[in-house]
Amino acid sequence: MITSALSAGCIHRAWFAAALLALVAAAAPGALFAQAEPKAAPELRTADDEFSRQLNELKQTFSDLSKKFQDSAQSIDRLESAEAARNEIEELRGHVGRLLGAVADNGTVWSLGVKALSRAEEKLKSLEQETRYKPEDKAFLIERWRELKVATESAIRELEGARRDFADLLRRLQTSEDFIDELLQIREHQRALEVIHGLTDGIRDASEKLKKLLGTIKTPGA
Amino acid sequence: MRSVAGGVALLTLGLTSCQVDGGEGYVEIKAVPASAAVPLYLDQVKLEPLRNGNALLRRKSGTTKLETGLDASKLAPLCTIEVRKNRITSVTVSATGSVARCQCGRSSGAQTGPERTCIG
Repeated sequence: MITSALSAGCIHRAWFAAALLALVAAAAPGALFAQAEPKAAPELRTADDEFSRQLNELKQTFSDLSKKFQDSAQSIDRLESAEAARNEIEELRGHVGRLLGAVADNGTVWSLGVKALSRAEEKLKSLEQETRYKPEDKAFLIERWRELKVATESAIRELEGARRDFADLLRRLQTSEDFIDELLQIREHQRALEVIHGLTDGIRDASEKLKKLLGTIKTPGA
Repeated sequence: MRSVAGGVALLTLGLTSCQVDGGEGYVEIKAVPASAAVPLYLDQVKLEPLRNGNALLRRKSGTTKLETGLDASKLAPLCTIEVRKNRITSVTVSATGSVARCQCGRSSGAQTGPERTCIG
Protein backbone atom coordinates (compact mmCIF):
# COMPACT_ATOMS: atom_id res chain seq x y z
CA MET A 1 0.00 0.00 0.00
CA ILE A 2 2.72 2.43 1.07
CA THR A 3 4.84 1.34 -1.87
CA SER A 4 2.04 1.89 -4.33
CA ALA A 5 1.29 5.30 -2.84
CA LEU A 6 4.96 6.23 -3.11
CA SER A 7 5.12 4.91 -6.65
CA ALA A 8 2.09 7.01 -7.62
CA GLY A 9 3.82 10.08 -6.18
CA CYS A 10 6.98 9.23 -8.06
CA ILE A 11 5.18 8.75 -11.33
CA HIS A 12 3.59 12.18 -10.92
CA ARG A 13 6.96 13.77 -10.19
CA ALA A 14 8.59 12.07 -13.17
CA TRP A 15 5.73 13.11 -15.47
CA PHE A 16 5.91 16.66 -14.19
CA ALA A 17 9.66 16.79 -14.82
CA ALA A 18 9.27 15.22 -18.26
CA ALA A 19 6.54 17.70 -19.18
CA LEU A 20 8.77 20.60 -18.09
CA LEU A 21 11.63 19.21 -20.15
CA ALA A 22 9.35 18.88 -23.18
CA LEU A 23 8.30 22.53 -22.78
CA VAL A 24 11.91 23.68 -22.51
CA ALA A 25 12.94 21.62 -25.52
CA ALA A 26 10.03 22.98 -27.56
CA ALA A 27 10.97 26.54 -26.65
CA ALA A 28 14.53 26.06 -27.88
CA PRO A 29 14.17 23.91 -30.98
CA GLY A 30 17.27 22.07 -31.93
CA ALA A 31 19.15 23.23 -28.88
CA LEU A 32 18.96 19.93 -27.04
CA PHE A 33 20.65 17.95 -29.78
CA ALA A 34 22.48 20.78 -31.52
CA GLN A 35 25.91 19.56 -30.47
CA ALA A 36 25.26 15.90 -31.06
CA GLU A 37 27.16 14.39 -33.96
CA PRO A 38 24.98 12.49 -36.39
CA LYS A 39 25.60 8.86 -35.48
CA ALA A 40 25.87 5.96 -37.83
CA ALA A 41 23.32 3.17 -37.43
CA PRO A 42 24.39 0.94 -34.54
CA GLU A 43 26.33 -2.08 -35.62
CA LEU A 44 24.17 -5.14 -35.68
CA ARG A 45 25.50 -7.39 -32.93
CA THR A 46 24.77 -11.06 -32.77
CA ALA A 47 24.18 -12.93 -29.52
CA ASP A 48 27.67 -14.47 -29.64
CA ASP A 49 29.37 -11.07 -30.20
CA GLU A 50 27.44 -9.58 -27.34
CA PHE A 51 28.16 -12.59 -25.12
CA SER A 52 31.90 -12.26 -25.79
CA ARG A 53 31.79 -8.53 -25.08
CA GLN A 54 29.88 -8.96 -21.82
CA LEU A 55 32.09 -11.87 -20.81
CA ASN A 56 35.17 -9.69 -21.26
CA GLU A 57 33.58 -7.00 -19.11
CA LEU A 58 32.74 -9.60 -16.47
CA LYS A 59 36.34 -10.82 -16.49
CA GLN A 60 37.47 -7.27 -15.81
CA THR A 61 35.05 -7.24 -12.85
CA PHE A 62 36.56 -10.53 -11.62
CA SER A 63 39.97 -8.97 -11.67
CA ASP A 64 38.84 -5.85 -9.77
CA LEU A 65 36.89 -7.86 -7.23
CA SER A 66 39.70 -10.31 -6.62
CA LYS A 67 41.82 -7.36 -5.50
CA LYS A 68 38.96 -5.93 -3.45
CA PHE A 69 38.46 -9.29 -1.68
CA GLN A 70 42.16 -9.45 -0.80
CA ASP A 71 42.03 -5.93 0.63
CA SER A 72 38.85 -6.72 2.49
CA ALA A 73 40.32 -9.88 4.03
CA GLN A 74 43.33 -7.85 5.20
CA SER A 75 41.25 -5.10 6.73
CA ILE A 76 38.86 -7.57 8.42
CA ASP A 77 41.91 -9.26 9.93
CA ARG A 78 42.97 -5.95 11.47
CA LEU A 79 39.55 -4.78 12.63
CA GLU A 80 38.91 -4.70 16.32
CA SER A 81 35.38 -3.45 16.25
CA ALA A 82 32.65 -5.97 15.48
CA GLU A 83 30.35 -3.25 14.15
CA ALA A 84 32.94 -2.05 11.64
CA ALA A 85 33.57 -5.61 10.51
CA ARG A 86 29.85 -6.16 10.12
CA ASN A 87 29.73 -3.16 7.77
CA GLU A 88 32.64 -4.60 5.82
CA ILE A 89 30.75 -7.89 5.42
CA GLU A 90 27.68 -6.02 4.24
CA GLU A 91 29.80 -4.27 1.61
CA LEU A 92 31.26 -7.59 0.53
CA ARG A 93 27.77 -9.00 0.10
CA GLY A 94 27.10 -6.13 -2.27
CA HIS A 95 30.13 -7.08 -4.40
CA VAL A 96 29.31 -10.79 -4.45
CA GLY A 97 25.68 -9.92 -5.21
CA ARG A 98 26.74 -7.96 -8.29
CA LEU A 99 28.76 -10.91 -9.56
CA LEU A 100 25.82 -13.22 -9.04
CA GLY A 101 23.62 -10.74 -10.85
CA ALA A 102 25.55 -11.36 -14.05
CA VAL A 103 25.58 -15.14 -13.84
CA ALA A 104 22.08 -15.73 -12.42
CA ASP A 105 19.64 -17.54 -14.72
CA ASN A 106 18.02 -14.23 -15.57
CA GLY A 107 21.33 -12.32 -15.48
CA THR A 108 22.76 -10.54 -18.52
CA VAL A 109 25.85 -12.63 -19.18
CA TRP A 110 24.14 -15.94 -18.55
CA SER A 111 21.16 -15.12 -20.78
CA LEU A 112 23.48 -14.02 -23.58
CA GLY A 113 25.51 -17.21 -23.20
CA VAL A 114 22.40 -19.35 -23.56
CA LYS A 115 21.31 -17.31 -26.61
CA ALA A 116 24.78 -17.57 -28.17
CA LEU A 117 24.74 -21.32 -27.68
CA SER A 118 21.35 -21.76 -29.28
CA ARG A 119 22.47 -19.55 -32.21
CA ALA A 120 25.53 -21.77 -32.73
CA GLU A 121 23.31 -24.86 -32.66
CA GLU A 122 20.87 -23.34 -35.16
CA LYS A 123 23.71 -22.26 -37.46
CA LEU A 124 25.18 -25.77 -37.41
CA LYS A 125 21.82 -27.28 -38.29
CA SER A 126 21.21 -24.88 -41.15
CA LEU A 127 24.77 -25.22 -42.51
CA GLU A 128 24.50 -28.97 -42.54
CA GLN A 129 21.47 -28.66 -44.82
CA GLU A 130 23.15 -26.02 -47.00
CA THR A 131 23.65 -27.09 -50.62
CA ARG A 132 24.88 -23.88 -52.29
CA TYR A 133 28.51 -23.96 -51.10
CA LYS A 134 31.41 -26.11 -52.22
CA PRO A 135 31.92 -29.07 -49.83
CA GLU A 136 35.25 -27.69 -48.55
CA ASP A 137 33.73 -24.23 -47.93
CA LYS A 138 30.78 -25.78 -46.14
CA ALA A 139 33.12 -27.94 -44.05
CA PHE A 140 35.16 -24.88 -43.12
CA LEU A 141 32.07 -22.98 -41.93
CA ILE A 142 30.78 -25.98 -39.98
CA GLU A 143 34.15 -26.46 -38.30
CA ARG A 144 34.32 -22.81 -37.23
CA TRP A 145 30.79 -22.90 -35.80
CA ARG A 146 31.59 -26.16 -33.99
CA GLU A 147 34.60 -24.50 -32.39
CA LEU A 148 32.47 -21.53 -31.38
CA LYS A 149 29.83 -23.84 -29.90
CA VAL A 150 32.40 -25.79 -27.88
CA ALA A 151 33.97 -22.55 -26.60
CA THR A 152 30.56 -21.16 -25.64
CA GLU A 153 29.63 -24.37 -23.82
CA SER A 154 32.90 -24.27 -21.95
CA ALA A 155 32.39 -20.60 -20.93
CA ILE A 156 28.88 -21.43 -19.74
CA ARG A 157 30.22 -24.33 -17.64
CA GLU A 158 32.77 -22.02 -16.03
CA LEU A 159 30.07 -19.46 -15.30
CA GLU A 160 27.95 -22.19 -13.75
CA GLY A 161 30.84 -23.08 -11.44
CA ALA A 162 31.34 -19.40 -10.59
CA ARG A 163 27.66 -19.10 -9.79
CA ARG A 164 27.83 -22.05 -7.39
CA ASP A 165 30.95 -20.69 -5.66
CA PHE A 166 29.59 -17.18 -5.27
CA ALA A 167 26.17 -18.35 -4.13
CA ASP A 168 27.98 -20.36 -1.42
CA LEU A 169 30.09 -17.36 -0.46
CA LEU A 170 27.05 -15.07 -0.28
CA ARG A 171 25.25 -17.63 1.88
CA ARG A 172 28.26 -17.87 4.17
CA LEU A 173 28.53 -14.09 4.47
CA GLN A 174 24.87 -13.64 5.27
CA THR A 175 24.87 -16.44 7.84
CA SER A 176 27.96 -15.01 9.52
CA GLU A 177 26.44 -11.55 9.51
CA ASP A 178 23.29 -12.89 11.20
CA PHE A 179 25.36 -14.77 13.78
CA ILE A 180 27.42 -11.65 14.49
CA ASP A 181 24.19 -9.69 14.96
CA GLU A 182 23.00 -12.29 17.45
CA LEU A 183 26.32 -12.12 19.32
CA LEU A 184 26.23 -8.33 19.42
CA GLN A 185 22.73 -8.44 20.87
CA ILE A 186 24.09 -10.36 23.84
CA ARG A 187 27.23 -8.18 23.94
CA GLU A 188 29.58 -10.98 22.98
CA HIS A 189 31.93 -8.67 21.07
CA GLN A 190 34.99 -10.86 21.42
CA ARG A 191 33.19 -13.94 20.06
CA ALA A 192 31.81 -11.83 17.21
CA LEU A 193 35.34 -10.76 16.32
CA GLU A 194 36.45 -14.39 16.25
CA VAL A 195 33.65 -15.22 13.80
CA ILE A 196 34.67 -12.29 11.64
CA HIS A 197 38.32 -13.24 11.60
CA GLY A 198 37.31 -16.80 10.74
CA LEU A 199 35.69 -15.46 7.58
CA THR A 200 38.88 -14.12 6.09
CA ASP A 201 39.97 -17.53 4.79
CA GLY A 202 36.72 -17.84 2.85
CA ILE A 203 37.17 -14.37 1.41
CA ARG A 204 40.77 -15.04 0.39
CA ASP A 205 39.61 -18.31 -1.15
CA ALA A 206 37.01 -16.38 -3.18
CA SER A 207 39.72 -14.02 -4.36
CA GLU A 208 41.83 -16.97 -5.51
CA LYS A 209 38.85 -18.52 -7.29
CA LEU A 210 38.26 -15.27 -9.14
CA LYS A 211 41.89 -15.19 -10.25
CA LYS A 212 41.61 -18.79 -11.43
CA LEU A 213 38.41 -18.02 -13.32
CA LEU A 214 40.16 -15.20 -15.13
CA GLY A 215 42.60 -17.76 -16.49
CA THR A 216 40.07 -20.48 -17.31
CA ILE A 217 37.17 -18.61 -18.90
CA LYS A 218 37.99 -18.21 -22.55
CA THR A 219 36.05 -15.73 -24.61
CA PRO A 220 34.40 -17.64 -27.48
CA GLY A 221 35.70 -16.54 -30.87
CA ALA A 222 38.68 -14.71 -29.38
CA MET B 1 21.21 26.27 -23.20
CA ARG B 2 21.01 26.92 -19.47
CA SER B 3 17.27 26.25 -19.53
CA VAL B 4 17.83 22.94 -21.27
CA ALA B 5 20.35 21.93 -18.62
CA GLY B 6 17.79 22.93 -16.01
CA GLY B 7 15.20 20.76 -17.70
CA VAL B 8 17.54 17.80 -17.78
CA ALA B 9 18.30 18.32 -14.10
CA LEU B 10 14.59 18.41 -13.34
CA LEU B 11 13.99 15.21 -15.28
CA THR B 12 16.86 13.53 -13.51
CA LEU B 13 15.54 14.68 -10.16
CA GLY B 14 12.04 13.52 -11.05
CA LEU B 15 13.31 10.09 -12.00
CA THR B 16 15.87 9.55 -9.28
CA SER B 17 13.52 10.61 -6.51
CA CYS B 18 11.33 7.75 -7.69
CA GLN B 19 13.53 5.03 -6.41
CA VAL B 20 11.57 3.19 -3.78
CA ASP B 21 14.45 0.80 -4.19
CA GLY B 22 15.22 -1.87 -1.69
CA GLY B 23 17.76 -3.31 -4.12
CA GLU B 24 17.87 -6.82 -5.47
CA GLY B 25 18.43 -10.21 -3.98
CA TYR B 26 18.47 -13.83 -5.12
CA VAL B 27 16.17 -16.81 -5.02
CA GLU B 28 17.77 -20.22 -5.28
CA ILE B 29 15.38 -23.02 -6.18
CA LYS B 30 16.40 -26.65 -5.98
CA ALA B 31 14.21 -29.49 -7.14
CA VAL B 32 14.32 -32.87 -5.43
CA PRO B 33 14.81 -35.12 -7.27
CA ALA B 34 16.81 -33.01 -9.73
CA SER B 35 15.04 -34.68 -12.62
CA ALA B 36 11.58 -33.66 -11.40
CA ALA B 37 9.82 -31.63 -14.05
CA VAL B 38 7.63 -29.47 -11.82
CA PRO B 39 6.21 -26.42 -13.61
CA LEU B 40 7.05 -23.48 -11.35
CA TYR B 41 5.79 -19.91 -11.34
CA LEU B 42 7.10 -16.86 -9.51
CA ASP B 43 4.37 -14.24 -9.17
CA GLN B 44 2.46 -16.04 -11.93
CA VAL B 45 5.35 -15.90 -14.39
CA LYS B 46 6.40 -19.35 -15.54
CA LEU B 47 10.03 -20.26 -14.96
CA GLU B 48 12.21 -21.97 -17.53
CA PRO B 49 12.71 -25.66 -16.68
CA LEU B 50 15.40 -25.95 -14.00
CA ARG B 51 18.87 -26.85 -15.30
CA ASN B 52 20.12 -29.87 -13.38
CA GLY B 53 17.35 -29.26 -10.88
CA ASN B 54 18.73 -25.88 -9.91
CA ALA B 55 17.99 -22.23 -10.61
CA LEU B 56 19.35 -18.98 -9.26
CA LEU B 57 17.22 -15.96 -10.02
CA ARG B 58 17.77 -12.29 -9.41
CA ARG B 59 14.65 -10.61 -8.02
CA LYS B 60 13.67 -7.20 -6.71
CA SER B 61 13.57 -7.11 -2.92
CA GLY B 62 10.16 -7.89 -1.51
CA THR B 63 7.92 -10.89 -1.35
CA THR B 64 7.15 -13.20 -4.21
CA LYS B 65 4.83 -16.20 -4.48
CA LEU B 66 6.09 -19.56 -5.64
CA GLU B 67 3.35 -21.60 -7.29
CA THR B 68 2.96 -24.72 -9.36
CA GLY B 69 0.42 -26.00 -11.86
CA LEU B 70 0.04 -27.37 -15.34
CA ASP B 71 -2.43 -24.68 -16.23
CA ALA B 72 -1.43 -21.06 -15.58
CA SER B 73 -5.01 -20.20 -14.70
CA LYS B 74 -5.14 -22.79 -11.91
CA LEU B 75 -1.99 -22.40 -9.87
CA ALA B 76 -1.45 -24.01 -6.50
CA PRO B 77 0.59 -21.97 -4.01
CA LEU B 78 3.76 -23.61 -2.70
CA CYS B 79 5.10 -20.87 -0.44
CA THR B 80 5.97 -17.21 -0.17
CA ILE B 81 9.57 -16.12 -0.66
CA GLU B 82 11.00 -13.02 0.93
CA VAL B 83 13.82 -11.53 -1.11
CA ARG B 84 16.23 -9.23 0.70
CA LYS B 85 18.93 -7.00 -0.71
CA ASN B 86 22.12 -8.90 -1.63
CA ARG B 87 20.96 -12.04 0.13
CA ILE B 88 19.98 -15.49 -1.10
CA THR B 89 16.74 -17.14 -0.13
CA SER B 90 16.97 -20.87 -0.67
CA VAL B 91 13.95 -22.99 -1.42
CA THR B 92 13.75 -26.71 -2.14
CA VAL B 93 10.80 -27.98 -4.12
CA SER B 94 10.25 -31.57 -3.19
CA ALA B 95 8.39 -33.60 -5.76
CA THR B 96 8.83 -37.05 -4.26
CA GLY B 97 5.15 -37.56 -3.48
CA SER B 98 2.12 -36.86 -5.62
CA VAL B 99 2.05 -33.21 -4.54
CA ALA B 100 4.98 -30.80 -4.84
CA ARG B 101 5.98 -29.18 -1.57
CA CYS B 102 8.17 -26.25 -0.67
CA GLN B 103 10.88 -26.49 1.99
CA CYS B 104 12.57 -23.33 3.17
CA GLY B 105 16.29 -23.11 3.88
CA ARG B 106 15.17 -20.70 6.58
CA SER B 107 11.62 -19.68 7.35
CA SER B 108 9.90 -16.98 9.33
CA GLY B 109 7.23 -17.90 11.84
CA ALA B 110 5.78 -21.29 12.42
CA GLN B 111 3.44 -21.51 9.45
CA THR B 112 3.37 -24.70 7.47
CA GLY B 113 2.31 -25.70 3.96
CA PRO B 114 1.71 -22.97 1.37
CA GLU B 115 1.38 -20.42 4.18
CA ARG B 116 5.05 -20.62 5.05
CA THR B 117 7.42 -17.80 4.15
CA CYS B 118 11.01 -18.55 3.22
CA ILE B 119 13.53 -15.89 4.15
CA GLY B 120 17.17 -15.32 3.24
